[in-house]
Amino acid sequence: MTSMSDSSMSYDLSGPLEFDALADVRPGSNILVSGPAMSGKAGLCTAMLADGSRSGEGAVIMTTGDRADEILDDYRTRVEDLDESRVAVVDCRGDGSRSDERTAEGAYVYHVTSPGDLTGVGIGITKGLETLANNGAEEGRFALDSLSTMLTYTDRKTVFKLCHVLSSRLDSAGYVGLFTIDSEAHDDQTIQVIKQAFDGMIEIRDNDGAREARLLGLAGQPTDWREC
Amino acid sequence: MSDADRPVVLIVEDEPDVAETYRLWLDADYVVRMAHSGDEGLDELDESVDVVLLDRMMPGLSGDEVLDRIRDRGLDCRVAMVTAVEPDFDILEMGFDAYLCKPIKSDQLHETVENLLGRSEYDDLLQEYYSLVEKQATLEAAKSNAELTDNEEYVAVQERIEELQGDLSETLNGIDSDEDFIATLRELNDLDE
Repeated sequence: MTSMSDSSMSYDLSGPLEFDALADVRPGSNILVSGPAMSGKAGLCTAMLADGSRSGEGAVIMTTGDRADEILDDYRTRVEDLDESRVAVVDCRGDGSRSDERTAEGAYVYHVTSPGDLTGVGIGITKGLETLANNGAEEGRFALDSLSTMLTYTDRKTVFKLCHVLSSRLDSAGYVGLFTIDSEAHDDQTIQVIKQAFDGMIEIRDNDGAREARLLGLAGQPTDWREC
Repeated sequence: MSDADRPVVLIVEDEPDVAETYRLWLDADYVVRMAHSGDEGLDELDESVDVVLLDRMMPGLSGDEVLDRIRDRGLDCRVAMVTAVEPDFDILEMGFDAYLCKPIKSDQLHETVENLLGRSEYDDLLQEYYSLVEKQATLEAAKSNAELTDNEEYVAVQERIEELQGDLSETLNGIDSDEDFIATLRELNDLDE
């Protein structure tokens, strides 16, 4: 194997989930994280972002459920000496009008009017990426939790297109993206269609009380189920 | 190219000299229509118009008001606001697709019109892409893997999907700019409503 130069960096997402293909993920890759409710999808994504933050990468977290301050509190406990100037949260819970703020610790937060406000989502992500780049983060990881909530605000077609456009934007930014979806909240056809907007998928299932995961896409054949 | 194939650009500008300059620049590549006020602009608008260059400050109907009427009528055209002040994302929030600061140069004008036509093309490609992905999922649900390999429709759908993936990543450089990104998402919102 020839040695790679710095310019061919890749992301190591294998910390919380030890699959070989996750140890060497190309910038611009976008991965769907699918599993039943309460199966730890969001926690898995956050853990993958936290690994990046520990090495100075940017982190953009888009939430439709938890409040921005809850997300940041949790994130601080995961990353020691977190440089919050390289963290941005796009809060889509919909508590009024579009606005942005800088927290006392230095994180950037953008509030969107509702998960269906895609213009606001676009502005929030743009400003988040811009802020992180200005603060020296040349690489970064993005997480959206969850597409299932987006699907209750708008239809499958719109969410599919959103995923495609977001993936393209993250690709040009050189980011890696993680998007959660509740596998039991939608029909098979919806999951099949949404899946097509991604480079790969992490599936999570409950097998008699044991949590298992497998990886599809990214590196050819699906992996076996593995306890996680 | 014959007139029928060329994109249509509508210039809404109250200063005749300025409007004429734009027309001269664009005439070779597009079918150019002119309107000297917001009201005239609305009269000239129909489904055939692809791009509107809209001066913001005009006597009578302002650019903002004209934009509102355009969106109300549900016309599928892209609107670039021509303004004297440098705006920011707020302009995109207001529903404009792009802005140009006076004085405008010829290459800037061409670039903006081409970019807006590119966005329309991107939206069309993305719509076709979605339809095919949906068709693919329907066929996969109805047939076994062995049946699919021999199914002409399925093979054709897959081939076209691959082509479209390439076309989409080439159009707008795969959503390389912030403006294209925000405007494309806003368009999704508009279509959804």
